[in-house]
Amino acid sequence: MNSVASKRLFQEYKHLTTDPPDGITAGPVNEDDLFVWEAMIQGPEGTPYEGGVFPAELKFPKDYPLMPPTMRFQCDLWHPNVYPNGVVCISILHPPGDDPNHYEQASERWSPIQSVEKILISVMSMIAEPNDESPANVDAARMWRERRGEFEKRVRLDVRRSLGL
Amino acid sequence: MAEASKSSINLPQIIAVALVGFFAFRWYMSKPSGDSSGSNPGSTSAAASRRGQAVDLVKVEQLASMFPQLDRRTIAWDLHRNGASVPATTERVLAGRGLETPPVSYQPALPSPETQAPAVGVSAGSSGSGTKRTGLKAGQEDLITRYNLQGRVGGKGKEAVTKEEEQRKMEWSSDKVARAEGLKRRREEMVLAARRRMEEKSRDE
Repeated sequence: MNSVASKRLFQEYKHLTTDPPDGITAGPVNEDDLFVWEAMIQGPEGTPYEGGVFPAELKFPKDYPLMPPTMRFQCDLWHPNVYPNGVVCISILHPPGDDPNHYEQASERWSPIQSVEKILISVMSMIAEPNDESPANVDAARMWRERRGEFEKRVRLDVRRSLGL
Repeated sequence: MAEASKSSINLPQIIAVALVGFFAFRWYMSKPSGDSSGSNPGSTSAAASRRGQAVDLVKVEQLASMFPQLDRRTIAWDLHRNGASVPATTERVLAGRGLETPPVSYQPALPSPETQAPAVGVSAGSSGSGTKRTGLKAGQEDLITRYNLQGRVGGKGKEAVTKEEEQRKMEWSSDKVARAEGLKRRREEMVLAARRRMEEKSRDE
């Protein structure tokens, strides 16, 4: 058993349970395997995602925290930075070091001083403010840029539907 | 004479061939579970790789035939948790405690969701994509279905509204089970609260 990674994940779980950030719930799906988590993120207020709750799965590598986890939404999330299959594309989830394309600062990328909490908070603000420089969902990005009204309407509809309404 | 001896030799042979053929057929049918539907070419390899989640299919089937109302995945989850003990699961169901809802990411390689689906009817769509559900089609089921909250949303928002503050400041329990329960409760409460708010909002409009 990889004790460094497990210990760290357990500590983070504890911290997120006793002092969770607003609108975020996260923890291992099963404590026997601390490397798979489920997180719930509330849609940020003042955005079309407001009122929604978005479940995502986090998968941690065995060498966590040296390498970042991957994150994948388990629901429809129409967003420029979320691939159609739910995988989140955000700099904090990219492996440490310099971006070969020089889009991102090394400081924005993953490093062991980051944490699950920081990832989830970053993803929350990413939901609120899409970054269309390197879109993961090209169609969503185009709609967001060119037809904002339609984009927001679609997101609101998805949110309602996700709550069974 | 020749006829008689020929037939007396042939009969056991025919039986033997039939038996071997029968077992070969059964072996073949039981192996590539989801393949016969042909809809998901990747399913066999994916299913095979998922064997890692080690589910004892015989035990699952045994329990499923005892309690047809239970979902196989739920059964597999309980077996997974109690060390694959059929008596323990049986005990639990009979005691009326019910089985825990398996977490969403628990997707064991069950015999063949594809072939079971038509018989079971509902939820076929989501379980059928067992191997690739994590992605695209996952969004088809809403959160209420996903977390089995159907029984708790009928109240038009009148059900006990737990204070959110109370939910958020969680005590850290030293007991693993209590922690898991707490997390589950907070997750469910988050979904239910979101739905209540959305219902209120649409009433106001």
